Amino acid sequence: MIRHRILTPVFPSRVVVLGGSGFVGQDLARHLTELGIEMVGLSSRQVDLLNRDSVEVLERIVCESDALVLISALTPDKGKDIRTLMRNLTMGEHLSAFTERVACSHIVYISSDAVYKDGENPIRETSCCNPSTFHGLMHLARERMLAHAVQKSKIPFLIVRPSLLYGANDTHNGYGPNRFMRTAKREGKVTLSGKGEEKRDHVYVKDLSRLTALCLMHRSEGVLNVATGLSISFFDLVQMIARLCAGEAKIEYLARTMPITHRHFDIAVALKAFPSFHYTPLQKGLFEALKDLSDRPGG
Amino acid sequence: MIGFVGLSHLGIISSIAAASKGFNVVAYDPDRSLCDDLRNGRLPVFEPDLPDLLTNNRARIRFTCDRAELKQCGLVYFSVDVSTDEDNRSDLTALDQLIGQVIAHVSPGTVIVILSQVPPGFTRKLANNLGGSFHLFYQVETLIFGRAVERAVHPERFIVGCSHPKGILPLPYDTLLRAFDCPILQMRYESAELAKISINIFLVSSVSVTNMLAELCEAIGADWWEIAPALKLDKRIGPYAYLSPGLGIGGGNLGRDMATLDTLAREFGTDAGLIDTWLSNSHHRRDWVLRILHSRVLSQCVSPEIAIWGLAYKADTTTTKNSPSLALIEALSPFSVRAYDPQAVLREVRSPSFLQVNSAFDACRGVDVLAIMTPWREFSLIDIARVRELMVGRIIIDPFNTLDSQRCAELGFSHFRLGSPAEIQGHTG
Repeated sequence: MIRHRILTPVFPSRVVVLGGSGFVGQDLARHLTELGIEMVGLSSRQVDLLNRDSVEVLERIVCESDALVLISALTPDKGKDIRTLMRNLTMGEHLSAFTERVACSHIVYISSDAVYKDGENPIRETSCCNPSTFHGLMHLARERMLAHAVQKSKIPFLIVRPSLLYGANDTHNGYGPNRFMRTAKREGKVTLSGKGEEKRDHVYVKDLSRLTALCLMHRSEGVLNVATGLSISFFDLVQMIARLCAGEAKIEYLARTMPITHRHFDIAVALKAFPSFHYTPLQKGLFEALKDLSDRPGG
Repeated sequence: MIGFVGLSHLGIISSIAAASKGFNVVAYDPDRSLCDDLRNGRLPVFEPDLPDLLTNNRARIRFTCDRAELKQCGLVYFSVDVSTDEDNRSDLTALDQLIGQVIAHVSPGTVIVILSQVPPGFTRKLANNLGGSFHLFYQVETLIFGRAVERAVHPERFIVGCSHPKGILPLPYDTLLRAFDCPILQMRYESAELAKISINIFLVSSVSVTNMLAELCEAIGADWWEIAPALKLDKRIGPYAYLSPGLGIGGGNLGRDMATLDTLAREFGTDAGLIDTWLSNSHHRRDWVLRILHSRVLSQCVSPEIAIWGLAYKADTTTTKNSPSLALIEALSPFSVRAYDPQAVLREVRSPSFLQVNSAFDACRGVDVLAIMTPWREFSLIDIARVRELMVGRIIIDPFNTLDSQRCAELGFSHFRLGSPAEIQGHTG
């Protein structure tokens, strides 16, 4: 599902990151800069993808030798409704119009594992895409829009579908490690739905950045899931966080409103594509993220 | 006199097996050097007991590249193996060409038997093309790589596809089949062609179910090697059922028959969704060793050295098509790999860090981990203590349970097997 256009990795001459001010974009910018890869991060303030004029603005910025990483999206914390879906699709429309016309060396679209059918296990790159949320539907539609657009321009195109991401700078506060770490630190408690039975695969955002950089260096195309291959229950995750917080966090259980579903990944494609890449063990990643949170003013 | 046309694996085994039953055989192939080799006892395929079978029956078999010699045969088999492409789709070109080249040299009224792996509909179409000049039959081949001689000399049954299943078999054909002293099942062409596929699809089904349950065992703390004997005592499953977990579905024939079934189901609108499920499970299980390697070795060592025993897709064959071992080696290209196989030799250099060595012990010299990818008997007899002396690491990944797990544990190895939970795979695992 993933193919490297360049077998021996080389730095792209420049990387333009759309959505450079968000959780994922910021960390990718940090990593690319640390590697010494020139990058330009663009936020909605510089390029408003909801505006048709963004196509022309981008055309003025992006050069033929640039690699593009497309992250910009309205995340579920900004809205899970139809209006948010349509706004995201409008952004996708403008991105597609741009990618149809632009000459650049590589396009990487950061999508989501939300495109996959719920309850399908284990998830692999070839699994059925049948999203149950507008967020997943948005990503799937944008993947198809962009794939259609690059058919004409023949630019190498990669879709990256990360599982649940965590890291100190996450602002989304979704149900998962980020929220658990914050409430454990600040309130000394964590709230779980039901008994926290659901198993999920949690990815450290720095691992996504490292893999994305590798994809850029190999000019990879196709589809790549970003998941560790090890899923744990939210209950076990909370226990792990509590231990890292020296047992300070108390667990509260709320009545379950959703049926229990699990998500596991078969990551053989990534193991073959990047044999020397290894994910950060969850405990180590959580420890780092908690430390980053603590090091902040008021942390 | 019995003729065999096409001397690939199937043709060689089948022609020598017929000679072993006391029949005089003309074995034809257009490849002159192949015929020369066979005449001189040089076999291009590896099968246990085949050299002896040839030696003992050489007086009754004549290998030739002269088509005219088939004129004297009252019964002619077309026995060339049908090759497959990378999607396991059959390529019938070689068979079609052979039939076209040879049929003019066969006397009218001769019994023609198609032994090659053809899809349903092939024999009926050929019968229509040939008209009424020959008695045409299709016979299901039952060759199993590594057990081909045993299966050819002592078949369980013959499945014969006929234009009219109630008809009586012509004398030369009936005489040959009866010499093998097994049941003969006659049926229409299409049934026989699908019977062969049905046999293989049932095997795929058993292998897939075994693999699915073995994975669950690994996850929940059950041990498939404890469960399998219980299933074998169930009369509905039986002692010969395919209950050993494997690394997906190997070899070319099972894949071919799944591809054929899939094509037919799509064409005729029948539900064959199970095939997708089997293929998906097969791909998933094929990477089992790679996943263990990554989690236990590659993520822990800076410059891991890996030994691989076995390159063939199964024991007692040199065939490497669809071999999990080759897939693994490809996925390990950045790492140092020392591989050994008792028979299979890789002609191409896989990567600069890949080395094929001449002994199982040599492969183990200084490595961090040993992966046993083909369950050759040689490996099960090996001195594990000597392996321990040669290896640096203490991890053996042995999907097919080739080594004695208890002995491995005693020597301090973490011994990973398909179907066994990680926590009982070794004290350091």
